Amino acid sequence: MDVNFRKIDIDQYDEDALLDTELYESDPRDPAQALNDTKQNAAAVRSSLSRNDYVGALTLVLENAPYGPNVEEAKNLNLQTLVSILNSTKATDIPGIVKALSTDAQDTLMKYLYKGMALPGWGDVSGSVLLGWHEKLTEVAGTGCIVRAMTDRRLV
Amino acid sequence: MAPPEVFSLSQQSPVTCHAFNADRTQVAVSLKSNEVRIYARQGNDWNHIDTLTEHDKPITSIDWAPKSNRIVTSAQDRNAYVWQQSPDPQTGHMVWKPTLVLLRINRAATFVRWSPNEDKFAVASGARAIAICSFDPEGDWWVSRLLKKPIRSTVLSVDWHPNNVLLAAGSADMKARVFSAYIKDVDKRPAPSVWGEKLPFNTICGEYASTSGGWVHGVAFSPSGDVLAFVSHDSSINIVYPGGPAIYSIKLSILPLVTVTFTTEESVVAAGHDCQPFVFAGNQGGWELIGSLDDPQSNKSSGGARSGFGAPSPVGRLNSAAFNTFRNAAERGISNVPGSPTASSATESELFTVHQNTITSVRPYEGVPGNITKVSTSGVDGKLVIWDVNAITPVTAAGLAGKMNKLHVR
Repeated sequence: MDVNFRKIDIDQYDEDALLDTELYESDPRDPAQALNDTKQNAAAVRSSLSRNDYVGALTLVLENAPYGPNVEEAKNLNLQTLVSILNSTKATDIPGIVKALSTDAQDTLMKYLYKGMALPGWGDVSGSVLLGWHEKLTEVAGTGCIVRAMTDRRLV
Repeated sequence: MAPPEVFSLSQQSPVTCHAFNADRTQVAVSLKSNEVRIYARQGNDWNHIDTLTEHDKPITSIDWAPKSNRIVTSAQDRNAYVWQQSPDPQTGHMVWKPTLVLLRINRAATFVRWSPNEDKFAVASGARAIAICSFDPEGDWWVSRLLKKPIRSTVLSVDWHPNNVLLAAGSADMKARVFSAYIKDVDKRPAPSVWGEKLPFNTICGEYASTSGGWVHGVAFSPSGDVLAFVSHDSSINIVYPGGPAIYSIKLSILPLVTVTFTTEESVVAAGHDCQPFVFAGNQGGWELIGSLDDPQSNKSSGGARSGFGAPSPVGRLNSAAFNTFRNAAERGISNVPGSPTASSATESELFTVHQNTITSVRPYEGVPGNITKVSTSGVDGKLVIWDVNAITPVTAAGLAGKMNKLHVR
């Protein structure tokens, strides 16, 4: 049976198609500014890490995380910074760190964990580290946090 | 503190929706089919007494008008019918007769509710529209006017304001909205309220979204109509004070809620995929999760030790039988294929909640608007349950505590 018709993008013929951009408020920053903010964050994170302030470092990365289309460069850099924090944390410290994060930061962290899992072998991403964080985060923030990572259209 | 009354209407099929008559002696339900089944209460049993057949696709919603004793049904066949009892010419028995409704929608009808005065009803649909229907005596049928703008996707639920004019709607475009459904021939000019002063048809009085998006599954006005609650698929419940303007958004650690109703001006009951009705309370100063009408901990102890569960999990249903099956397979190489005789899988997958699956609908059962004392719920497990809204079990599990933050609407 010919199933190629299923690959036709029928939305392009629909003048009233619902666009992704109508479903969320886009990042108010322009791409250059978002990238600049992310670069400054990355520097601040390095100094936080040198003081062993993991909660502070994570909060920097997770609050004002760039999202949406057109900011791919900033998004990649932010993921890289985040992964460097996750990789440098001792497994026994994770529950305490996760509990100290705000609900919004927990939700954003969950989005990054899933993004990392979708990019195996990307940069320093390690599946076992991500799964360790995922387990502890789910114990603290519950299944609701996972649901929010799935429903939120503000993709990181 | 009466225990909940539990009735199992169906072993196999879900109860998609339910509606009681005025004196609660009969209930109309849809068991995920194209028939409406009416049950009459006899002691502690519900007997199937009547079936309404006119729809040819599954029924999505039912509402029973308490004063005029009329039933309205909506279905995936894009139709709605209003059912009235009249004597059969041959036998003299009272039978339910359908009246056609001219909906003019080209997608499924998803939800239906009578207005408080019972002279209008609203039909939500997949056609990005809500049909506001009123009776046309000349044609002897129900005609509709469509609320279209600015709905961008399927409308999933509606709720009427007590003034018979305003309508709240939750939609798959991730917005909860308040519309004017003013019909000139039916309604008197409404008094000004927090939602606005001039209210011609299709005025948008408010548009709200949850922070993390998600389909808005359920909406409800407070008894005064001055407060709006909505639940969405990001596991949140949101309480809107339009005069504020503020939204209180409670992000929950549980699975999403799908249905919500106010019991007093300062408390709501909401239920959904976590299989138990939760109680939230608050006022202009803030809202919080109070507890559950269900008590899974005591159900567990009275039900005896069941294998497969162990210590209560801090993360809701994560530590379920299915979860354990996969964990055993992954960690110990034990594969427990469904149907294998080793484990009593029926008891293992049983939840400690009264409902064994998603709750599809929660509705007021006893009391007056503003002081509801009992609510009824129906579920995918085929159960109909009546709960005392004052029998609240505080939510103790650490992972269940809702966290709240305040947002200001721009």
